[in-house]
Amino acid sequence: MFNPESYYLDLFQVTPGTLEELTGLGIKKGGSYCDLFFENTTYHELLLRDGIVSSGGFHIDYGIGIRVLKDDRTGYAYSESTDARSMRDAVKAASMIAQGGRCRPAGADLGHRPYSAAASEAKREWTRPGSKVGPATPNDYYPFERDWRAAETSGFVPYMEKLQRKISAGDPRVLKVIVSLSSQVSDIMMYNSLGELTFDTRPMGTIAVSVVFGQDGKVENKTVSRSFRTGAEMLTEGLLDDIAGEAVKGIDERFAAKRPKGGKMPVVMGAGASGILLHEAMGHAFEADFNRKGQSIFSGRIGEKVCREEISIVDDGTIPGNRGAVNFDDEGVPGQNTFMVRNGVLESYLHDRISAAHFGVAPTGNGRRESFRYAPIPRMRATYMLGGKSTKEDIIASVKKGIYVDQFSNGQVQIGEGDFTFFVKSGFLIEDGRLTMPVKDINIIGNGPQALADITAVGNDPKVDDGAWTCGKGQSCPVSCGIPTVLVNNLTVGGE
Amino acid sequence: MEENITGMLSAEEIRIADKCVEKALALGASKVRVTLNKSLMELFGTLDGVLDKVSHCLDRSMSVCLFADGKYGSFSTNRLVESELDDFLAKSIATVRMLAEDPCRDLPDPERTAKDAKTGKELGLYDPSYPSLTSSERLKMAMDASVFERHKGEGLISEEGEYSDSIYDTLTLDSNGLCCRHTETSFEYGVESTVKDADGNRYSGYWWDSKPKLEDLQIATCSETAYQRAMAQIGPKKIPSGKYTMVLDSENSSRLVTPLTSALGAFALQQKNSFLLDTLGKKVFPEWMTLKDMPLAIGQPGSKLFDSEGVAARETPVIQNGVVKEYFVNTYMSRKMGIAPTIEDVIRPVLEPCVAPGMDKPSRMDRDALMALAGDGILVTGFNGGNSNSATGDFSFGVEGFLFKDGKIVHPVRETLITGNLLTLWNNLLAAGDDARTCKSKVIPTLVFKDVDFSA
Repeated sequence: MFNPESYYLDLFQVTPGTLEELTGLGIKKGGSYCDLFFENTTYHELLLRDGIVSSGGFHIDYGIGIRVLKDDRTGYAYSESTDARSMRDAVKAASMIAQGGRCRPAGADLGHRPYSAAASEAKREWTRPGSKVGPATPNDYYPFERDWRAAETSGFVPYMEKLQRKISAGDPRVLKVIVSLSSQVSDIMMYNSLGELTFDTRPMGTIAVSVVFGQDGKVENKTVSRSFRTGAEMLTEGLLDDIAGEAVKGIDERFAAKRPKGGKMPVVMGAGASGILLHEAMGHAFEADFNRKGQSIFSGRIGEKVCREEISIVDDGTIPGNRGAVNFDDEGVPGQNTFMVRNGVLESYLHDRISAAHFGVAPTGNGRRESFRYAPIPRMRATYMLGGKSTKEDIIASVKKGIYVDQFSNGQVQIGEGDFTFFVKSGFLIEDGRLTMPVKDINIIGNGPQALADITAVGNDPKVDDGAWTCGKGQSCPVSCGIPTVLVNNLTVGGE
Repeated sequence: MEENITGMLSAEEIRIADKCVEKALALGASKVRVTLNKSLMELFGTLDGVLDKVSHCLDRSMSVCLFADGKYGSFSTNRLVESELDDFLAKSIATVRMLAEDPCRDLPDPERTAKDAKTGKELGLYDPSYPSLTSSERLKMAMDASVFERHKGEGLISEEGEYSDSIYDTLTLDSNGLCCRHTETSFEYGVESTVKDADGNRYSGYWWDSKPKLEDLQIATCSETAYQRAMAQIGPKKIPSGKYTMVLDSENSSRLVTPLTSALGAFALQQKNSFLLDTLGKKVFPEWMTLKDMPLAIGQPGSKLFDSEGVAARETPVIQNGVVKEYFVNTYMSRKMGIAPTIEDVIRPVLEPCVAPGMDKPSRMDRDALMALAGDGILVTGFNGGNSNSATGDFSFGVEGFLFKDGKIVHPVRETLITGNLLTLWNNLLAAGDDARTCKSKVIPTLVFKDVDFSA
């Protein structure tokens, strides 16, 4: 009989007694809470360049992160060894937070309870180690069949070569193709001073292509990626066709594209990747650490009506196989779907345990981290807007003069001011309700609350993008985003 | 003995790296390169003048590049346990053998590798006082740096500061006998202030300093500067879209240099994904523009004696009087492209002060003097997102800053974009100052460009 508890405890060479001893040591000098985050991650990567898969490798990352809280304050240390002495040294370093500096007013005490098997029993059924193949439990958001760690690397090479051939065959202007396949599997074990023991095994597969096209002496490039929390079974013919098709789609328009005249104008955001608007315009400003510190433009505005009633925006960790899915966040809180805006009203920030205690609410499962080297902080998962009633065609037809955008590379936000930007890789001018001249490589800028208020139409075509979105906030985190077609009445578009 | 300094490579760790080279060859690799990295960072963060965060981060990892049967792979682990090395290397070599042959893969020619990086401390980037620094002293520096109490009644609503210091030690060995080491310490303070105006609008300002030696760290003025930078943004006004002269301050100017050096990298050139393709030896920038790579400056952040292959760094012009003088070409790309290898990437770019012909060179070459030289325009003090197209050089960036007239600031501007093409932009360079920030590894001063498209 497979025993998940022993799998993880053995992997990290610890016992329940050790876990309890470490968390006890963490709060011994006045800490209010202590948690342990064990991680063993294996990354694999392969790179096809100039028609051959001639480089690849794997990387192993193993260690424990130890956090001690003193009310809202954080002490953090980690060790790349899980021998008893190294872990105790790290706990002592983290527990310094309880010893230095003036204290701020106390938040809720998260407390300490001894380990008990019964306390963690409910958690165990949510998880399973990656080596076990079997039916998913109801709350397993990333069931997988072929563990990347056990799959033969040689089997992936023909797949990548086939993808390259399909792309090259798809457009005679293709000059160069790079295909990368990366995968990772993380075994995670968490324990805290509440006595909660949690396990998780997290797969992730990402395939990305970078294509360079040439035409009449001009050069254009395009990148496409797909990323899922799943095993090697994701590498299907259907995925090949999807990526190859998108890689060569719209190249005529790229070569024909021009810079629009810049300035304020209506912007129609295409369904899917335009969800970057939500990520930048409001998602970050809703991460509760910024609000706890009073830095966010949305600080103190819960319960306010900020946009049209038909708009609801969620941050969801429960989409099966999605890049932003979490069975548990990195504090052991179960994954969940959180309404940030419901029917136009601000409903919830995105909380980790610290901010939840500060605001006196339950954590929302947003306490995430890049690895054991980082303390968890509130981070998004899959952030998207629910569908509305308009059709895409009607939304575009309603615009006299503006632009339509559908592909992006990156975005950014200033939390205090609320000013956000995102970089558009492709789109079209809208003139008299019709898509006309292609545009590309323009930045768009707006202000979060104003942009939300300026959404005047929501499409009936909601879509979550499956690209390899990574959010940076001092540490990287895999996320995804989505949106139906929407009309934002007034954004500033870069141009000549 | 240095081996006792936490954060520096120990004799035992170096022995394991040596052993790794030996074992890899014994297991069937034809050549191997091993890089051992170790670092320790201590961080004390404050929120509103109160201790908020303490971090202790000790990292250690070993990267192994393996060449076997004409094939190549790269691997890493942070499990530096000798008993696990055999299994790690055997799996690594098995993985390499599944890949395609690539005759271009090789170690660098030993003639080109660094010979003078023996102790790691040759460049003067190690502060000998580092090991004696105590947690109490770190905490005191973090707490003393705050100005929250001074300004909390004057609009300051949040001040988040972080003092940190680190030691970084790296050793690169290969089966051709390469052995180079680089050791540096770094002391840094950064602070972000958020202020609120009478209408409840929030504005933030950031400032920081970083030095290899603690005695040089300018910590005392950081928080005040961040606060003043936030306050200065209150009351932004819109500007009409159009062409303006842009003065880009030295805190942000490297943002426009990085796309140039990336486009001169062989990885982009070989893929034809570079707007500077086929420009070597050609004058594509204004003749008053000179950009050098100066990696050997003693005691300066960013300096290094070798690249990741162990190739010796050297001082070299990248763009001289507008002419492209250097592509960044590592061993692999050299063989693929059939051109001579150089260094894999720019290490410490330095842009020389200059003024375009027809303009009077001011006695000072700092930001204020260059604003006076420009007369009217927009001073850019921050970027907010944006990107550039590596194949075409087309760019569009979000910016914030100030409108200025007659060299004097008039009012802040935000929600503004600049758009154009990097080659066109750099050919519109009017001046480069001499005020590059000494805390940065990219030594780029205040820049002045004419006819920049601003959208607002």
